[in-house]
Amino acid sequence: MEALHACGFLAGMPDELLQALAARCRVLTVGPDRAVVTQGEAGSTMYVIIGGEVRVHDGEVTLARLGEGEVFGEMAVLDAEVRSATVTTTSDATLLELERDSLFDALATHPGGFQAILHAVLQRERGIVHDVKTRTEQVLAYEKELEIGRRIQAGFLPDALPTAEHWQIASCFEAAREVAGDFYDAFELPGSGRLALVLGDVCDKGVGAALFMTLFRSLIRAASLYGFVDPRIDADTAGRAGASREQDTLVNTLVTTNRYIATTHASSSMFASVFFGILDPASGRLDYVNAGHEAPIVFRSDGECLTLEVTGGVVGLFAAAPYRAAHVMLQPGDMLLAFTDGVNEAKNAAGDQFSEQRLLELENVRALTPDELLQHILGQVRAFRGEAPQSDDISMLALKFLGV
Amino acid sequence: MTTFSIMVEQAQARVPVTVLRLQGDIDAGTQPILQDRAAEMIAMGTTHMVLDMSEVGYMGSAGFRAIHAINNLLDREQSDAFERSKYLKLLNPNSEVEKVIRTLGFDAFLDIHHDRDQALESF
Repeated sequence: MEALHACGFLAGMPDELLQALAARCRVLTVGPDRAVVTQGEAGSTMYVIIGGEVRVHDGEVTLARLGEGEVFGEMAVLDAEVRSATVTTTSDATLLELERDSLFDALATHPGGFQAILHAVLQRERGIVHDVKTRTEQVLAYEKELEIGRRIQAGFLPDALPTAEHWQIASCFEAAREVAGDFYDAFELPGSGRLALVLGDVCDKGVGAALFMTLFRSLIRAASLYGFVDPRIDADTAGRAGASREQDTLVNTLVTTNRYIATTHASSSMFASVFFGILDPASGRLDYVNAGHEAPIVFRSDGECLTLEVTGGVVGLFAAAPYRAAHVMLQPGDMLLAFTDGVNEAKNAAGDQFSEQRLLELENVRALTPDELLQHILGQVRAFRGEAPQSDDISMLALKFLGV
Repeated sequence: MTTFSIMVEQAQARVPVTVLRLQGDIDAGTQPILQDRAAEMIAMGTTHMVLDMSEVGYMGSAGFRAIHAINNLLDREQSDAFERSKYLKLLNPNSEVEKVIRTLGFDAFLDIHHDRDQALESF
């Protein structure tokens, strides 16, 4: 009787009714980790917790934790539908079990009890409405934060691509989620007329990758623009005979960026594959380092394809990793395409990959502008993917030498 | 949902070596299983480890993050020199996985063996 009094759900009931109910209750003692009611099953009993705690859950998702004085199982008793959730004890528990028939028998002789139950149910409903409102507000707040993150991240991509006489440059960027791990960059190296071109893919997806994307992009841009170099690497690079200034910039930038992330963020094990090139627009010479990235493709004007294979490992893991620069001479009419694995590893519903081969076999590339090429590839990837969702970020950079 | 499991074997070479036989795909979903199991073995005293990848069909970037983290746990000196891991070796990756290992440059830091005894004796 005392326990029923202490139970919020039954508190409004007249004393005689509680007495009648108390006489019809059964006391259960249950060990921990036992399911008292099971979702989807029919049930004719409700429970008041006298001691211990239970978890109301839908599979792994916990909906509520209840303790002394609280009630569960009342919904199926009142509307005779199946149990809406499973209730499992999380400790030793003592429960009062009340049968539907006993409840309705007692209510039949004490009609005032209906009003009390109605009141209790409505109280609970008001609570639920309040919870839903709170959670909806939380979700909206998170969505707003994510949108702010997305906009700030967009600011880490260049507003506009640099221009150079006799060259066309285009880029595209499609994030699989609100924020992305892919990045590209293109900027002029002051005083030299050279263009720096960067395409990177930070491992993983979502917010973690996005945070590291801002770090990789900023270090690469700052180190190559302002020439800062980890003092420990001077000795490594000074002796490289015959290396051009562009190659020094490429190697120093990646060695410094790699060392910084591998030591400062060692415990994160985050890395990026990066293609980093410096173009001399006047001659068509492209010096580059391919740090563990998908090999960019040069579509030669004569129909041949050339791939720019890796010259070093991914950036950010092994502090002392060496990087080597290579170069290629682009001829008038040549098109360079760099892409992230969101393109070649795009999957259709059957799980097949778009594959690099499809890029190498693209027809009439030479007739297209870089922008047309990227739109063409995006269209092909979308058509290939069909109904399957975009699972990874897609970024591409393309440039074409129009000839002097 | 990919299935992934790990069988642990202890072998005795010049040093005691823990061999983790990995079965299944290593992706973002299964990577914590590998990382946690390896960390558990290292906490229990493992100093040298071979990852037997004979039965791994696919390994994504998450798997490489796990390998890096495991090597960090094993390599307590964290020396600054550019050298191959003295504590962690890879055994029998399939050709697809090995191609990715080489593209990402992990082959510069980790020995890849195709013979179990050779892998064990390499420590």
